[in-house]
Amino acid sequence: MIEARALTKRYGDKVAVDELSFTVRPGQVTGFLGPNGAGKSTTMRMIVGLDRPTAGTVTVGGRPYREHTAPLRQVGALLEAKAVHKGRTAHSHLLALAQTHGIAVRRVDEVLGIAGLSDVAGKRVGGFSLGMGQRLGIAVALLGDPATVMLDEPVNGLDPDGVVWVRNLLKGLAAEGRTVLVSSHLMSEMALTADHLVIIGRGRLLADTTVDELIARVAVGTVLVRSLRTADLRDLLVANGATVTPTDSGAVQVVGLTAEKIGDLALDGGLPLYELTPRRASLEEAYMELTREAVEYR
Amino acid sequence: MITFRHVLRSEWTKLISLRSTWATLGAVAALAVGLAGAIGYGVSRSDPPANVGEAVGAAFLPLDFFVLVVGALGVLQMTGEYGSGLIRATLTAVPRRLPVLAAKALAFAALTFPVMVAVCLAAFLVCQAFLGEGGASLGDAGVTGAILGAAACPVLMGLLGLGIGALVRNTAGAVTTLAAVLLVVPALLTPVLPGGWDERVMKFVPTIAGQAMYGVGGNGTPFDTLAPAASAAVLVGWVLVTLAGGAALLARRDA
Repeated sequence: MIEARALTKRYGDKVAVDELSFTVRPGQVTGFLGPNGAGKSTTMRMIVGLDRPTAGTVTVGGRPYREHTAPLRQVGALLEAKAVHKGRTAHSHLLALAQTHGIAVRRVDEVLGIAGLSDVAGKRVGGFSLGMGQRLGIAVALLGDPATVMLDEPVNGLDPDGVVWVRNLLKGLAAEGRTVLVSSHLMSEMALTADHLVIIGRGRLLADTTVDELIARVAVGTVLVRSLRTADLRDLLVANGATVTPTDSGAVQVVGLTAEKIGDLALDGGLPLYELTPRRASLEEAYMELTREAVEYR
Repeated sequence: MITFRHVLRSEWTKLISLRSTWATLGAVAALAVGLAGAIGYGVSRSDPPANVGEAVGAAFLPLDFFVLVVGALGVLQMTGEYGSGLIRATLTAVPRRLPVLAAKALAFAALTFPVMVAVCLAAFLVCQAFLGEGGASLGDAGVTGAILGAAACPVLMGLLGLGIGALVRNTAGAVTTLAAVLLVVPALLTPVLPGGWDERVMKFVPTIAGQAMYGVGGNGTPFDTLAPAASAAVLVGWVLVTLAGGAALLARRDA
């Protein structure tokens, strides 16, 4: 469980995180979304005590991170890929971090296995690809068998196999009752992985909701309707308050009426329909709609 | 659970798992002993030492340079983590932070001091072998202390480097700062200070105090120096002040 209360971070007169309050609950994957520069990474750094908040608090498992006696057992974090000395082997890197908590070398081998890095455990990290670096970062995050896992852009640089691996890993961790917070710019991936969303823009909370709620609330669903009498259909629907746009395929796209209502209207009007397809907005569309105002060009 | 022993073991692993640590120490060992032999050979042919102090001084003449190399190794222990981003992982694992710096200092001393004792002993013996009759022996007064002092001096400079690394955080800046402290400050102070003052001040400058740690009978530097033990205390003082400054910033700054 991560709880942020009026969390604020200023750099000079620039506000990176602005009175942000949210709760990340255990047992589900929470997606942490926002445009570049929205304050996601700064927030994550404050969660693990790397940056000190200007104001407000953030706790993990009920306490500020640095007050835990075994913080790696509370939170496993991937904040940047390849935050590793290039001259060290993957095994030595993990071992050094494990030793701070007296974690056994057996666990090091275990997380190397989970991350699919057993074969390169003795290789120096300087030669790792970005994807292997991400896997090593995730291995570090899992080292302390933590109650909360927090990953910043974990699928960056991963191949399709790796992306699926991360997705299943995160879902598995949540199913075990852990708290999982993951940031990503890949909305399609988030739609598949996340149950809950925390969306921020310019350091402020834009939404704290589920994927379905967000889509229902923000995005406008459309219905694809096909009829041979396109002009009559358009007049009928427009008269009932819908917006109708023709498509290349000869069908029309309707906004403002449900598929049921369109079907009823067509029946009453004696118009035969050949296609009536409700189209749900994607998470990406809902996200774009929500963050349009908050995108910052610098 | 985090304990200081755990953090110390972690820092020890970090130090010994880098090939560059061993390459640096190996190069220092080979060059220090080799140069001590070469100097012993040269000196015995041209200008044999007049006393034990000069004989010991000949063995440790190249140390002025290796002090800088070991110092840079200390710098890198800190700045290498900032350069790679590893510091974020380290401070996430040990969010109270200060044990990390203390453990780095202890691990560094625990590794480099025994190595430097062996190196300095070998350098002394090789140099004296070339000096022959004019050479000093281990039994001569002050020789054992000089060997230990010669071993401790680079270790303390490494710890000074560690402190500077914690203050400055990037490798280029910290190594430059260390070089300025060790080379430029003593060179500049003499002309800058008014007459008479340099005699009072120079013995407290880290470089001069360090050299005085392995001088026998006051030889080794052109300046008035304190006794070896007092010089060591002065250098330890500088190290503690620098590490304390680094610790204060490490605890306060965003990582």
